[in-house]
Amino acid sequence: MDAPTPDRLTRRRFFAATASTLSGALGVTALASSLGAMPRASSGGGPQGPHFRPRCKRVIYLHMEGGPSQLDLFDYKPRLQEWYDQELPDSVRGGQRLTGMTSGQSRFPIAPSAFRFSRWDNGGDGVWISELMPHLGAVADELCFVHSMHTDAINHEPAITFVQTGTQQPGRPSFGAWTSYGLGSDNRNLPNFVVLITQGFGNMQALASRFWGSGFLPSQHQGCKLRSSGDPVLYLNDPAGVSRADRRAMLDLVADFGRRELARTLDPEIEARIAQQEMAFRMQASVPELTDVSGEPDSTWKLYGEEARQPGTFAGSCLLARRLAERGVRFVQLFMRGWDQHGNRPRRCGCNAGPSTGRSPHCCSTSAGAASWTTRWCSSPASSGARSTARAACRATITAATTTRDASPSGWPAAARAPGPPTAGPATTATTSWPIRSPCTTCTPRCCICSASTTSASSTGTRVATSGSPTSPAP
Amino acid sequence: VSLGSDDGFQLFVNGALAGERRVERAAAPDQDSVHLHLPQGRSMLVLKVVNTGGDGGFALRHRPAPGELAGDLWLALLPGDARDPGLDRRLVAAWRRHCSPSYAGRAAAVASAEQQLAALESAIPRTMVMSEDPAPRPTFVLQRGEYDKPDPERPVARDLPALFGSLPDGAPPNRLGLAQWVVSDQNPLFLRVAVNRLWQFVFGQGLVRTSEDFGLQGEWPSHPELLDWLACEFRARGHSLRAMLRLLVTSETFQQQSRRPAAAAAVDPDNRLLGWFPRRRLAAEAIRDQALFVSGLLVERFGGPSVKPYQPEGLWQEVAMPQSNTRTYVPSSGADLWRRSLYVYWKRACPPPNMLVFDAPTRESCTVRRSSTNTPLQALALWNDEQFVEAARVLAQRTLAERTDDEARLQLMHRRCTGHALDDQQFAAAQSLLHSLRERYEAAPADAAALLATGAAPQAAAAPADDSAALLLLGSAFLNLDATLWID
Repeated sequence: MDAPTPDRLTRRRFFAATASTLSGALGVTALASSLGAMPRASSGGGPQGPHFRPRCKRVIYLHMEGGPSQLDLFDYKPRLQEWYDQELPDSVRGGQRLTGMTSGQSRFPIAPSAFRFSRWDNGGDGVWISELMPHLGAVADELCFVHSMHTDAINHEPAITFVQTGTQQPGRPSFGAWTSYGLGSDNRNLPNFVVLITQGFGNMQALASRFWGSGFLPSQHQGCKLRSSGDPVLYLNDPAGVSRADRRAMLDLVADFGRRELARTLDPEIEARIAQQEMAFRMQASVPELTDVSGEPDSTWKLYGEEARQPGTFAGSCLLARRLAERGVRFVQLFMRGWDQHGNRPRRCGCNAGPSTGRSPHCCSTSAGAASWTTRWCSSPASSGARSTARAACRATITAATTTRDASPSGWPAAARAPGPPTAGPATTATTSWPIRSPCTTCTPRCCICSASTTSASSTGTRVATSGSPTSPAP
Repeated sequence: VSLGSDDGFQLFVNGALAGERRVERAAAPDQDSVHLHLPQGRSMLVLKVVNTGGDGGFALRHRPAPGELAGDLWLALLPGDARDPGLDRRLVAAWRRHCSPSYAGRAAAVASAEQQLAALESAIPRTMVMSEDPAPRPTFVLQRGEYDKPDPERPVARDLPALFGSLPDGAPPNRLGLAQWVVSDQNPLFLRVAVNRLWQFVFGQGLVRTSEDFGLQGEWPSHPELLDWLACEFRARGHSLRAMLRLLVTSETFQQQSRRPAAAAAVDPDNRLLGWFPRRRLAAEAIRDQALFVSGLLVERFGGPSVKPYQPEGLWQEVAMPQSNTRTYVPSSGADLWRRSLYVYWKRACPPPNMLVFDAPTRESCTVRRSSTNTPLQALALWNDEQFVEAARVLAQRTLAERTDDEARLQLMHRRCTGHALDDQQFAAAQSLLHSLRERYEAAPADAAALLATGAAPQAAAAPADDSAALLLLGSAFLNLDATLWID
C-alpha cells in the first residue's frame, strides 16, 4: 500500500531530476504541487515524502514570545556608553515610524546596556554574550548568531506573523508548515509539526494559531499543539469506559466497512483514511510514551535541570522537543511567553533567570542543551553530508527565535552585520509608558537599573536598533 | 481602608501583613477593603503593589468604621468661629451624604433609575451600520503600499477598476453604485462567479477550478459554454440560489455513480469532465451538524448570539493576554450546546479545534476554496470529542427507545447516519460487534456508566446501561464511516 507504483512516480521523478537546477527544496515542492504532481491521496499515511534528499532533517525552534532586547543579550555595543543619554541621531532612526508607546515623547535618549558582556570563543570567531545568559556562553561554539534579522512591523502580532510566515498579513503558511510540506514525514506515529507553549510570567503577549497555521497549504501541515494539561494532543484519550480493545474493535468495523466502500468506488482516499485512523490508534499509545520522561537518565536532569520534570515548564518543553526530534518529528516549535520587556528588563531579561524571580536559571542552559541536541540531530552523519548547511539552518532558527521584534521602536530593522567585535553605532532607545527607569547615575552603569533615578524623558533600554553605520538609513 | 490596585497588592502595618490580594486587574478605587487595627501613636503602612504587565497603579483611601466621623464630618469638631462659609458648605454636604435618610433615599432612587436605564440600553440589540461620509475622504495611491505613505500627487477617485468597465448609468460612485453594478444584468462576471461557486458546492470543484480567481492567474473553465448558460439561467431565474441548486442536483451529472470507470480515470484522472460523481468529504461544520442532526440533538433555531459548545479546557488561556476578555472559555449550557456550527463563537487566535481539524478556514482571509485533508487528528476528534461522543450516545438511546430488536436498531441507526440500509455482511459484522460489546459492558457496569455520562444531554431513563453503552460505540462507529462523512 505504501510503495508508490512506478507510473505514479513519473512526474515526481521529473522534478527530482530537475531539482538540482532549482534553488531550494521549498520552491521545488511548491512547484510540484502547483502543477498537480503531488497526489492528494497520501496512501501511506501522513504528509508526502520528499522527492529529493533533504539536507536538513529536523528543526527545533525556540521562540521567545515578546521580543527581549538583544542589546542586553547578544548584541554587544560598548560604545553606547559614550552616547549615554544623548539624543538618537536622525541618521539612525531614518524616519522610522514610532508606536503609540513612544510617539508622545519629547526626546529619545540613548540607553546603553547595563549588563556585563563576556566574550566567548565560539570556534575562533568570538561572540559576546551578556551576564543575563550565564549558561549560554559555554555552548556558544554550537551556535550561530544572525545579526541581520529585521521586520517592518512595529507591533507584536504582525511582527510575529512576519517571522513565522514571511509576511505581516495573516494567511500564509508558517515556517513549520512549510518544513512539514517540504520534508514530508519521518514518523508514522506522531504529527510532523509540533508546537509546545510555555506560559511565562508578566507581560504576556497573545499568541495566535496562525503562527503555526498551514495557510493555503493543506491543513495536515498545521502545527499540532502538544499540551501539558488535559490530553497532550487534543482528543487523544478515549472517553472514560472505552478500553483499547473496544477502540480496536470499533476501528476494525469502520475499516471493514471502508474496504467495502473502496471495492465499490475504487476511491484511494478511502484507503488513506483507513491508514490515518490506524495512525490515530497508534498515536494513542505513542504520545503517552513520548511524554513519559520517567525513563530519562540522570544526565538529562543535570543538563535540563530538575524543572524539566514538570510538564509545561520551558525546561520540560525543551526536553520534550528533544524527544520529539529523536522520534523523527520534523519541526518542533517552542513558544515561551512573557519576554515582552519594557520597564522590567533586569527582572525579566535573560531567560527570566535570576534570584529576584526565583525562577530556575537552568532554562538558559536548557535552551542551550536543546540547541546542541538540535544540531546533533540535524547534522547526524546519517544525513549524508551537507553538514554545514544543516547546521546553519537549524542554528539560524534558534537565534532567529530571539529576534522577534515587537512594540516600540524595537520593531525597527535590526542591523545587518556580521558577528564580530561591534562597530560603533548608537542604539536607538525605546521608551515606554512605564515608570521611567534608566541606568542609575549614582552607581556604575553596569551595576543596576534603578527605578528611582532619572530624568523624566529618559528611557528604558531598547530592544532593537542600531545599524552597522550610524549614517545608514533603515532598510 | 479601601483600595484598588494594578495588579495585586500586599498591605503591611508596622511590618505585619494586614491584607493581600493576588490578582491581575486594572486599578479602580474601592476594589478591596482591608480592616486595619492601628495602635495609638505613629504607625507605618506599607502598600506593596505587584504589577505583572501594562500600566501599574493604585488607589487608597481611608474608609471610616461605623460610628467614626465619615468624610468631611470631622469639620464639625472645629469651633464655629474657625469655620468659614466654604468649610460650612463642605460640612453640610458631608452631613447630607452620610447622615441624611431622605438624601440617601433620593440618591438610591437616582442610582436605581440609572441602573434601569443602563439595563434597558444594554438590552437593545446593537449592530454595526455603515454610512457614507457626506464628503468622500481624499484618497491617494500609497507609495509602495505603505499605509502611512500616501502620495499627495496621485489622488484616487472612486470608480471601478477600468478593467471591469464602468458603473451603470446613474449609479452613484459609492457602495450602492458598486452593488448595482455587481447585480446588473449587463455584468457577466458576477453571474459566472456565483454559479461557479454553486457548481463547486455541488461537485467539489468549480467549472473554473480557481473559483476565487477569474483573473490572469485563474484557470480557464473546463466547460465555458455551460458556465455561460448557467450564468444566464441564474439571471433568468431571478438570482434564485434555491432554483439553481435544484437544477444542479437534479442533473444527470449529479446522479451518476461515484465508481470511477478505469477507462475514464485513465484519460481524465482529475475528473474534470465529470465522468463519475466526485466523492468528497463533508465540510467541518456539516460534519458536526450532521452528528447533531442524526442524534436528534440539533437545535435549528434561527439567529441569535453566538454559542460556545464543548471545547477542551484551557485552550484560550494558552494564547490569550492576561487582560484579554476572551481569556477563559465558558461553555454554553442547554440548547446552545447543540446549535448549528454556523453559530459557534469564533476566536480567531484560537478557533474551535474540532472545526480547524476538518479544514475550516481560520477566517483571517477570505477562503473560497477549502483544502480537504485527511489526518489522524480528525479520527481522534470524531472518536473522542465530547460533542461527537454525546451525539453517539443520544443517537443510541434514541434508537433503543424506538426499536425493540437488534436488527431494527442497527438498521435504523445506520440508515440515519448514511442513508443506506446495512447489507447482510455489514449487518453480520455490526451485530457481532454489538454482541461482544454488550457482554463486555454487562461485565463492567462501571465502564458503561462512565461512558454514558458523557455530555449534558438528558439521559434516557429506561434503557439498560449495557445496551446503551454497546450501541453508543456502534453509533460512534457509524458516525465515523466514509458513507457518513462523504458525499457520495
